[in-house]
Amino acid sequence: MGRIAITGSGSFLGGRLLRRLVEARGGDGVVAVDLAPPPAALESRHRRVDLTEPASDEALLRVFREERVDTLAHFAFFTNPRRDTGYAHELESIGTLSLMAAAAAAGVKRVILRSFTALYGARGQNPNFLTEEHPLQAGRSLGWLQDKLEAEQHAASFARRYPEMSVTVLRFAPLFGPEARTFYTRVFDKRVVPVLMGFDPLLQLLHPDDATSAALRAMEAPVKGAFNIVPKAPIPLQAALHLAEKLPVPVPHPIAYAACELLWAAGLTEAPAGFLDYVRYLCVADGARAERELGFRPRYSSREALLAYLRYRHPEPAGAREATA
Amino acid sequence: MSESAKVVPIRRSRREGSRETERLAEQVRVLEDQLRRLEAERPASDREGLPVALARLFQEGLRGVRWETLARAWAEAYFAWHSQEVDEFGFDREFTETLRPLFEFLYTVWWRVEASGLEHVAGQGAGLIVANHSGVLPYDGLMVNLAVRHEHPARRDCRMLALDMFALLPFLAPLLAKSGAVRASQENGERLLRRGELVGVFPEGVKGVGKHFKQRYKLARFGRGGFVRLALRTGAPVIPCAVVGAEEIHPVLLKANWIGRPLGLPYFPITPTFPLLGPLGLVPLPTMWSLDFADPVRMDGHGPEAAEDPILVNRLSEQIRDTIQKMIDGRLARRRSIWFG
Repeated sequence: MGRIAITGSGSFLGGRLLRRLVEARGGDGVVAVDLAPPPAALESRHRRVDLTEPASDEALLRVFREERVDTLAHFAFFTNPRRDTGYAHELESIGTLSLMAAAAAAGVKRVILRSFTALYGARGQNPNFLTEEHPLQAGRSLGWLQDKLEAEQHAASFARRYPEMSVTVLRFAPLFGPEARTFYTRVFDKRVVPVLMGFDPLLQLLHPDDATSAALRAMEAPVKGAFNIVPKAPIPLQAALHLAEKLPVPVPHPIAYAACELLWAAGLTEAPAGFLDYVRYLCVADGARAERELGFRPRYSSREALLAYLRYRHPEPAGAREATA
Repeated sequence: MSESAKVVPIRRSRREGSRETERLAEQVRVLEDQLRRLEAERPASDREGLPVALARLFQEGLRGVRWETLARAWAEAYFAWHSQEVDEFGFDREFTETLRPLFEFLYTVWWRVEASGLEHVAGQGAGLIVANHSGVLPYDGLMVNLAVRHEHPARRDCRMLALDMFALLPFLAPLLAKSGAVRASQENGERLLRRGELVGVFPEGVKGVGKHFKQRYKLARFGRGGFVRLALRTGAPVIPCAVVGAEEIHPVLLKANWIGRPLGLPYFPITPTFPLLGPLGLVPLPTMWSLDFADPVRMDGHGPEAAEDPILVNRLSEQIRDTIQKMIDGRLARRRSIWFG
């Protein structure tokens, strides 16, 4: 049996997956492919490859052959929108291209690609539940998600050309839970949160434990194609903000888009204006296929994931805990 | 203590009364102790509610108000009439329960809705209620929903398929979602029907709801037969429903598209009261309504593949439209007054 390689093992989800895999099959069965070595305590193998280098495909091919890799989990993606879009493009789009080329050349049997339900795009015309067949049309917010979309396209084209390599795309809903720190969890760290006046879409917040167990299942299941990995139930934005005891400040949307773009250019917001679509319209994915074919049933609802995050961010004050005890 | 002893009933002796008061005072002390203990057990950040916030505002002015207190008070107010978990389409039962008195007022007092033929709605399983649309704002959907919810023995929820113009309109969109409506689309409708839900649809769409007053009770084209395809694909029976009364609540005299278009509305209605009377013009006229449900049209005879036959779809759609038009005409012939039925 060959080894499992994880690219982006330094990422939040990649790191968690690495830990679970090392627990399951020992440090020797897993290779972490990343710039930074994984925590020494894990004792997993580590190969340093920079996916943004022009000759990264050859370096990867060498790694895959030497380590006898038969399963590859590609988790090297940015969760947060970045201002230097050039680097994001090199890593996410071109990096996936070289990675797929190397995997195909090395005869890797199984590829798991980390993707995002945000790629469906938040649009007024969306059905309430987006199935995997729905076209990926992130639309106005494409600028920020373009590279992730291209990564999926590269993976799909390799999957077509190399039918013996089984490629599974996991589209994860936004992660929310202990230790998850992304641009949308940071929204919940502020006291005052601007929202779009008169809009209250449903959000899907996925607990990281659910995300990891879905990825583990996908590695073992003999399936191909795309899967939405989503939590049990969605939560309305307003309810989420009030659960976290935030002050929502409604902003009329014609002003909000322009203001957000300006603030983004000035470096004062976490995301460009395209993100506002996601607090205006629905982008809720349907997890039925993952349940049917992967046997994945989420343990947490969006509300529970949010509460888990809040407990992690705001542990009960020491005095209060003593009083209870 | 002796002060309060004076208020005990006269039939008891003074001594007996004071003993009673002492006993009560003791109980109060015990309760106060318990309250203090409970207060201490709550996390420090949790101790200030709305009354404290108001008191601070009163004593110290705006400087005394803390963000946390304000946010907590707001959250408390929000969850007083919203539940923390909604259904997968965003239906919030607690929110609907809160608004129920208002809806019931509209149903029983304002429009005095008279529902007949509810026995044609099955007690369980999928069903598609198809009705005529009118009234500028989707009050007819609300009333059909209430009729099924309150007058049908099975107390069913009827999930309305809402037009894009409502389902995407700021303020109205979250309101509709919370009260159980879903944006009209084949995917959404099919999902609900496959779950065995009762679904309501107004195939006239925008053409119906924004109908000119002189066109009242003349059914517009039934879309492109999407509801028939939905029924064919899921095998759900179609229950025709005629709504009479709704077409006069906001008599549209003119449609000022030059105002509506920049606002993102498909039309901007001018009625005798709106925009002349401002917000007061949004009050619908108190006509008398009737809802008539007819025999379900079964789709089992055709297979799901019939949904791909446009001629058949259109024929079935026209047949149902005809049924509803006849029901409306019958009602109108019997109706003597718009206001009193």
